[in-house]
Amino acid sequence: MKNVITMKINADLYVKDVPGQLVSSLEPISSVDGNIVGVVHNREQSINGRIVVNVTFDVDPDQVDNLKKIWRSRDVIVAKLDSVVETFTMDYMLVGDLSASYIEELFGEASTEISFESIDIGYSSKTAKDTRTAMISVKVQKDDDLKKLDRFLSSACKKAGFVYIRGVRQ
Amino acid sequence: MKIFISGFGTVGQGFLETLLIKRPFLQKRYSEVVSVVGVMDSKSFDIDDKEVCGLCMLGNKISLGRCGHRDRNGLSGVEILDMVDYDLLVECTPTNVKDGGEGLKNITHALEKGKDVITVNKGPLALKFRELNDLAEKNGCNFRYEGSVGGAMPIINLCREGLVGQEIRSIRGIFNGTCNFILSRMDNGLPFEQALREAQQLGYAETDPTYDVMGIDSACKVTILANSIFGRDVTIKDVSITGISSVTDGAISLAADHGMVIRLIGEVSKDRLEVAPRLIPKGHPLSISGTLNAALITTDLAGPVTVSGRGAGRKETASAILSDLITIMDAKHHFKYMPSD
Repeated sequence: MKNVITMKINADLYVKDVPGQLVSSLEPISSVDGNIVGVVHNREQSINGRIVVNVTFDVDPDQVDNLKKIWRSRDVIVAKLDSVVETFTMDYMLVGDLSASYIEELFGEASTEISFESIDIGYSSKTAKDTRTAMISVKVQKDDDLKKLDRFLSSACKKAGFVYIRGVRQ
Repeated sequence: MKIFISGFGTVGQGFLETLLIKRPFLQKRYSEVVSVVGVMDSKSFDIDDKEVCGLCMLGNKISLGRCGHRDRNGLSGVEILDMVDYDLLVECTPTNVKDGGEGLKNITHALEKGKDVITVNKGPLALKFRELNDLAEKNGCNFRYEGSVGGAMPIINLCREGLVGQEIRSIRGIFNGTCNFILSRMDNGLPFEQALREAQQLGYAETDPTYDVMGIDSACKVTILANSIFGRDVTIKDVSITGISSVTDGAISLAADHGMVIRLIGEVSKDRLEVAPRLIPKGHPLSISGTLNAALITTDLAGPVTVSGRGAGRKETASAILSDLITIMDAKHHFKYMPSD
């Protein structure tokens, strides 16, 4: 069996405000083996006799062009087609005699194995005991990457003698 | 039902007092007298085939610092247990996580003799959970320990009975009120040492607070939950433990700037056994302040279930022992609950 990688897409479709058009706009998604996650349509807001249907679905990226052709053939106007990226966030805190360059190097090393969507770092000022706290918020696309990062940071902090505090999943 | 209470500190006294108060309720429910036939503490003991005088025990402890009028004179707990006929041992001796201490010997002996056991002593459970449960099963004994985790906060029985049939995916919780009090005070700007002193002055922390602040007390509870709820076979040595002594004011303050607090969280799941300070968003069920305990149980059907309650205290822990006692007696009497009960 072919292992298909899907992407999540959010689309605004303008369909004629007549019976059967909503189904007609959604059917093509199933016909290309897409999986509809959510549909919102607002019948009160009509533009030139058309209403907007907002649909979110998972689909094989190779089928997107095919899908657009089918919609065009059915007189469905595609006003917006965005890929939706799901992200996982987690917060971490490192406490010790640390510097900004150390944290940057640490996350540089982590980036070789983990693909980050974003990394946001904040620091406290140094105390009399020469300790400083770094607060790091990360966004990743895969849940597994958070597990990898947890193992990486835990081990790095143990080696460096830093206190390692992580957040909780919501 | 004849009960022997071993350990007559805050919890043992609280249970005896509770039993005296709840005696009419128990008599009505079972038409059976529930009596205490033996009590022992580290210095003394008292036994009576029919019933010891509960109020005398409580009075002696306050005025003389000992429960009974008979000196132990080197007698072991096991030797004293053998002096009287009892049905159920309530074990409340102090926790010893090195070798289980006298509590482990008492529990083992009672189970070997076919007696039911209720314990709030974490040491034996954190070290010999599987062995004790196997022994209880082999000898057809009831062995219950609700009060060993979270005091008055129901968690073990909730997971086993209230959430029965569901897959418990993880339990994360605040299992040590002393640490939570210290971290809550640090939220208000107190340094760690000062917050600890305040906890000691208020009687929340022991003179030697090591067990609490190093995370060992929480780790015992994590071990008990892993064994009793997740069916794992672990001891306290398997728990990754980080205490709160290294949490700095700077860390607390930076967390606050990001809308978070730091709390000592115990976490149990199929692949994690851990006690560590964690960043908790304000408003999260585990961001509570003060001496309360709380647990967030994640299940496959009900989703997240949160419980919170007083993690320690005389009557609070006694309430958990009473709940275990009632469960045992309900089973023995085939008691069926009616709304009027």
